[in-house]
Amino acid sequence: MTTAADLAPDASRPSLRADSAAIELTGIEVRFSMPTERIVSFKEYVLKRLAGKLEHRELWALRSLDLEVPPGEFVGVVGRNGAGKSTLLKVISRVLTPTAGRVVVRGQVAPLLELGAGFHFDLTGRENVFLNAALFGHSSRIVQKHLHEVIDFSELEEFIDLPIRNYSSGMLARLGFAVATMFRPELLLIDEILAVGDTGFQEKCLARIHDFRSQGTAILLVSHQMESIADHCTRAVWIERGQLKAEGPTDEVLQRYSEGFAES
Amino acid sequence: MTSSLRPSPIQPAARQQVYDSSRRPHPAVEELQELIRFWDLVVQWSRRNIKLRYKRSILGVVWTLLEPLMLMTILTVVFSNVFRFDDLGYPFPLYILSGLLLFDFFNRSTLQIVEETVASLGLATRIYVPRSAFAVATAITYLVNWAVALIPLAAIMLVLRQPLSWAILTIPFGMLLTGLFALGVGLLVATLGAFFHDVKLTYQVLLTGWFYATPIIYPPGIIPSNLQKYFLLNPLFHLVTLVRDPVILGQVAPLENWLAALGFSLGALVVGWWVFTTQRSVFDYRS
Repeated sequence: MTTAADLAPDASRPSLRADSAAIELTGIEVRFSMPTERIVSFKEYVLKRLAGKLEHRELWALRSLDLEVPPGEFVGVVGRNGAGKSTLLKVISRVLTPTAGRVVVRGQVAPLLELGAGFHFDLTGRENVFLNAALFGHSSRIVQKHLHEVIDFSELEEFIDLPIRNYSSGMLARLGFAVATMFRPELLLIDEILAVGDTGFQEKCLARIHDFRSQGTAILLVSHQMESIADHCTRAVWIERGQLKAEGPTDEVLQRYSEGFAES
Repeated sequence: MTSSLRPSPIQPAARQQVYDSSRRPHPAVEELQELIRFWDLVVQWSRRNIKLRYKRSILGVVWTLLEPLMLMTILTVVFSNVFRFDDLGYPFPLYILSGLLLFDFFNRSTLQIVEETVASLGLATRIYVPRSAFAVATAITYLVNWAVALIPLAAIMLVLRQPLSWAILTIPFGMLLTGLFALGVGLLVATLGAFFHDVKLTYQVLLTGWFYATPIIYPPGIIPSNLQKYFLLNPLFHLVTLVRDPVILGQVAPLENWLAALGFSLGALVVGWWVFTTQRSVFDYRS
């Protein structure tokens, strides 16, 4: 396991090993400053501020966290609710900027967190493909070129020109998955192995995920289901109170994690 | 399962893309770079908004054309009978309508920018998208609606036998400046409005005041002359002049109005953009 000391001295100096990693996190810290009470109106905010009654509470979501994921590795992330797993995903997908430390992500990131982001029920499947893909930063020209692959994969050929209001939840998830994985990303972020459609389709999705991995995609899977981590991951990471508690081969980490659970 | 047998396509430009949190440019610059990279999203999102507007009801398009006409009829009847504006030198209905279209655009687009920004938070806190994309798309959507509403305006010009001059070709530029101004104001209000629910309510009250403070339903001449100089401080006064003079007078608005409008629009845009991008943590911590 890499310790913070190895990486800390000069984070900006590129190292050979670091250059090849898909994700490289160095001394990541995310600190939220939350008001102690919920303030919903601007008037209230200004009045409290003027009276000097605005108090903040520091909340550490992540603390001195180091992590490296090389291409082609399938890493599982375990931890209790509120341990910082979602924050970790947000930091990697650049939704959140860490308050300290450095994140380097090489190549395109595909988040399988929000399937069918921005889907609108009054629009057709086809229109939604373009909309959804645009949210991932794909231009409509390139989507047009690969549209048939998306439709093929989703198995929605007959329904693609219907408003998705008429789709079942399984069909929606299939379309969402097909769009989110239309291009092989360098990094795939998964929040729980998705229950997409029927068993046959789920296997097809998993096959695609593993296919990506064998072509060099690094995968980060956050899950509460130990089985899915044990099934898919080559390495596991345990996060506890925003810090890295353990890292190593999947079995070992899962073993320690379940023991840790038994203790408390 | 043929898809797993051949290598999956990689988006060509995406391969070399590296995100390094320690080498990020200033947020205001980064957001602009990302907005350009995601320009297709802006286009798609605007098209979506326009499509939805016209899809929801068969009356969609008709309504866009009818609404300003009906509003104008009511206001013209009320104002030309209650207040007698004779000898203005231009047809008062056209004066009202061209001003109303501008204010209607400003009113709706800024409020909708606040709405869209808040609505997109659920999405933008899970996957990375430049958040300004939704605001820009909203401004574009309402600019298109405004352009459609120019059709009934042109029809009325024909009915009233108002001469058409080449000056009307400057109207799109005035609209564009209004769009930039609305975007700036919208971003500013959205930043605060995402956090506090009373900001939008306060802004709505302000908008009502702003409407009456701008010569839209009355000619500027009815205001005492010692107060008229305050119109010059009102960005909407200059903007409305740009799009109204070509219609009612058949001439391009005076240069000083163009310069003032340009200054106000760019100023609002820079301030709005700056606040929206540098205060983005406001959005992050709401999730």
